[in-house]
Amino acid sequence: MSSPTTEDAPTALSHGPPPQPATGECLVAMRGLSVGYERAVALRGIDLEICRGEFVGVVGPSGSGKTTLLRTITGQVRRFGGELETMARPAEDTLRLGYVPQVDTVDWNFPITVEQAVLLGRWREMGWRPWPRRRDRELVAHLLERLGIGKLAKRQIRALSGGQQQRTFLARALIGDPDLLLLDEPTSGVDIKTRHEIMHLLGELNRAGTTILLTTHDLNAVATHLPRLVCMGMGEIVADGSPEEVLTPEVLRRTYGAEMLVMRRGRAIYVVEHLGEPADADAPELAWDEPAAASEAEVGSPQLGG
Amino acid sequence: MGGLAEPFEFEFFVRGLIAAGLVGVLCAAVGIYVVLRSLAYIGHGLAHSIFGGAVVSFVSGISFYVGATIWGVFSVLLINGAARRRQIGGDAAIGIVTTSAFAVGVALISRQGRFTQDFDAALFGEILGITSGDLYVIVGVLALVALILFFWWKPFLFTTFDPDVAGSYGVPVIWVEVLFSLILAATVIASLQVLGVTLIAAALVIPPVTARLLTDSFTRMFFLAVIVGGLSGFGGVYISWFIDVSSGATVVLLQATIFAFALTYASVRARWPGGGWGGEGRLAAIENAPID
Repeated sequence: MSSPTTEDAPTALSHGPPPQPATGECLVAMRGLSVGYERAVALRGIDLEICRGEFVGVVGPSGSGKTTLLRTITGQVRRFGGELETMARPAEDTLRLGYVPQVDTVDWNFPITVEQAVLLGRWREMGWRPWPRRRDRELVAHLLERLGIGKLAKRQIRALSGGQQQRTFLARALIGDPDLLLLDEPTSGVDIKTRHEIMHLLGELNRAGTTILLTTHDLNAVATHLPRLVCMGMGEIVADGSPEEVLTPEVLRRTYGAEMLVMRRGRAIYVVEHLGEPADADAPELAWDEPAAASEAEVGSPQLGG
Repeated sequence: MGGLAEPFEFEFFVRGLIAAGLVGVLCAAVGIYVVLRSLAYIGHGLAHSIFGGAVVSFVSGISFYVGATIWGVFSVLLINGAARRRQIGGDAAIGIVTTSAFAVGVALISRQGRFTQDFDAALFGEILGITSGDLYVIVGVLALVALILFFWWKPFLFTTFDPDVAGSYGVPVIWVEVLFSLILAATVIASLQVLGVTLIAAALVIPPVTARLLTDSFTRMFFLAVIVGGLSGFGGVYISWFIDVSSGATVVLLQATIFAFALTYASVRARWPGGGWGGEGRLAAIENAPID
């Protein structure tokens, strides 16, 4: 049995090109975009560009429109106004997307094995045959091996740990060789170790050239380690920039509608929910070494993908 | 031995036997998608709805198959349309549309003041009254369903497993939904004469659920369900000859018996020391803790 060739393997996991931070070549551009469902507008006046090689996180409270933003890119919402441009590959008419849904939307009792679930991501390339060709199986085996779940191909998806389940759906997204990887709450409901593994893996993929857009509720363990954050509140973009730029008490108040403290030490940032009286608007940002601040050991977290 | 072969001497019985086996296969193949989409109620409802169409076609003097097809497709489109409205759930939409359509049939029968043999067959099935024409319809629908499921295997599987995500991977989800609705309606219409309105839902649901107890692979589940459906259709009609019980009821009772055996097997296997993943059943899947 021969191994898949370099050309066969999804580029996201290949050893090929070195990491390419935002090249300026935009895969997705939204200008004044308003979208929603049926007659209800869910996102208003969205201006956002996602460029090749970027790793972008979207944060915001439940109902702020994070998932709708991803569904806008996948074309599953109704457009009310504005423009949405996506950059298709040469000789293809659409942008290739890899989508990893929230784990709680998956029917874990469905009679499907890891291999069968991953092959769905390659349904177009497999042609009309119901059964996979040897090359398809080899590609799946290669990808699962690279993601560390090579021995689980024949296992039903319920019989996996949280991290293995995420890797399975990540494999389904990657096997189609996507231009843009969309992940909806990839660290939701997983333990700390699994969260670190997932974020480490995503960091590796990004350094290998994959453009990633993910949503997260986890400000401290996920969002603060990403190079770019988009803060969403009430269906609008409140702020867009690096964590250092956007994680301020003022932006967080507008995003979450709640007072939050922001502690900084060097490049490390830690956000704390303010449970007491509304803080003085001028003073909620604390230095890390203030007496009231948490110790470094309590909040230390490795840099993404490091 | 001659006694066991006796029913095969009658052409009408052989025709009924073949029809029941094919309908068992047909219902099981379509039923897999019904069960995995949690739409077991739609089979029951659609059969009732199409009964209304059968009565309307009888009263109007048009062919049963033409009337029932128009009625069935119309019902499915109405259900899909109503279910898309967020204020109405899918189950409620099925309940409203199908019971209303059934009520039309009942109202027309009460206006007529007589209950004909045809309606009796539509309600409870009349396997031994299967004509060559009925058999051709069953073979035609089975061939059509087989072709669609063969060439659209992956889009159907993707849409059934993960409809939201399938769209983002370029699967034409709406077309899959429309096609599924149409083959479901065609299956119910083709099965009506064999099983009757009241028993179709069982033939759609029991073989796939039985297969689900025995495997965690979609492909194996499909073939197991089809085998259970075909054998129970064939076997049920054959047994009914000797015990003098309605053939449709015997088919469903045989399916229920196989289901009971599968459930017992899956339960024992899941509890058997070291039996865990060898069983690959749904019970095992639920009861085995995640492995890191």
